Amino acid sequence: MNTIICRHCDLVSERPVLTKGYVAKCARCQHTLYKAKAANAKKILALALTALLLAPPAFSFSLVSVHLLGVTEQTNLLQGALLLIDFAPIVAFVVIFCAVVAPVLLAACMCFSSACIVLNKRPHLLSPVLKMTSLLIHWSMLEVYIVSFMVALFKLNSYADLYYDNGLFFLVALLILNMSMICEYSNAYYWDFFTNE
Amino acid sequence: MNTAMLIIGTSLPMNKPLKSGLSAIQQDTQLCKVCDRASSISLNKTHCPHCGTPISVRTKHSIQKTWALLCIAFIFIFPANIYPITYLLKNNEAYPDTIFSGIMTLVSTGMTGIAIIVFVASMLVPVLKIIALAVISLAAHFKWKINPKTQLLAYTIVDWIGRWSILDLFVISIMMAVFDKGNFLSVYPGIAATSFTVVVITTLFAAQSFDTRLIWDANLDAN
Repeated sequence: MNTIICRHCDLVSERPVLTKGYVAKCARCQHTLYKAKAANAKKILALALTALLLAPPAFSFSLVSVHLLGVTEQTNLLQGALLLIDFAPIVAFVVIFCAVVAPVLLAACMCFSSACIVLNKRPHLLSPVLKMTSLLIHWSMLEVYIVSFMVALFKLNSYADLYYDNGLFFLVALLILNMSMICEYSNAYYWDFFTNE
Repeated sequence: MNTAMLIIGTSLPMNKPLKSGLSAIQQDTQLCKVCDRASSISLNKTHCPHCGTPISVRTKHSIQKTWALLCIAFIFIFPANIYPITYLLKNNEAYPDTIFSGIMTLVSTGMTGIAIIVFVASMLVPVLKIIALAVISLAAHFKWKINPKTQLLAYTIVDWIGRWSILDLFVISIMMAVFDKGNFLSVYPGIAATSFTVVVITTLFAAQSFDTRLIWDANLDAN
């Protein structure tokens, strides 16, 4: 099969031979068809495992300490989201899902599917896991959270003294791991593995 | 047994090479959005032969779904901007803040850069998203001759920038956590916070339910 169909505009193209570092783009809509580098399952497994290890401290350690009128308060990510539940449950659900559930589930899914490739196993569970992975990539919004955090810090600066805590480093590390996982991942490669018995 | 084998064999596109430069739909071929593989339209009406998930040539009822979600977003964008999104409780007195008054406070305290980020993420992007998606769906439905590349570019921008609207919700959750135990200051979300969430989520789903291949179906001769 030497043709490839663009998923954005449905154009059929011939599959070119790519040298390393090149990207094939659709002639009609300029969207990326595929990249020269093949997805490296071992690398993704390592990244996903690290992300899973970093997730509990990133969400439960304090991100920032606020000194206000002689009182010091520490703030972590989960606490902020859980406080919202009583006042605005829908908002709380969206915040928890986009900032906590989606990134962790994404790491778990990629961990599972990469482990399947590394161990050369094809369990039935792999198919729903792969489907979930492509959905979750849309909803993992750690980068938005980091920018929101900066906006909040700027707002708070006028009220109180701020000190950064360890949790922030874990969160930034988790964000970097998450983004490199998504860059490395290839939906087509994983499905090829699953369907080629 | 033999006929079954034959059907499976011919349902794969390897037997007849596809012509490049044409849309797959013109050559009786569809792409599975789940597993990225091609199969024949006439032989696989319900399920993808490779991964077994339900398949359709284009996302089913794509434009209707997009419109339904856009209508919800359009209704909720008014309460989101009119009612207070947060209450600042200072000395047992509540100071309501709408999205716009929050931005004005940021400007007046000299944080213009942050004000621009919040303005773009919370006010400009939701409105532009609704307008852009509405125009693209209308163009796909009535086969308007708008340059398809421009339409896809607009869609890509909407799809990418849409996630940044969640920024305001995250900021509320962080502010609440920071002022949690303080007796002097505390922050509570208002009605607009929920309305704003509905706007953000429905526009995100609207962008996802729109099938970009419809843009080119409406312009098959244009290229």
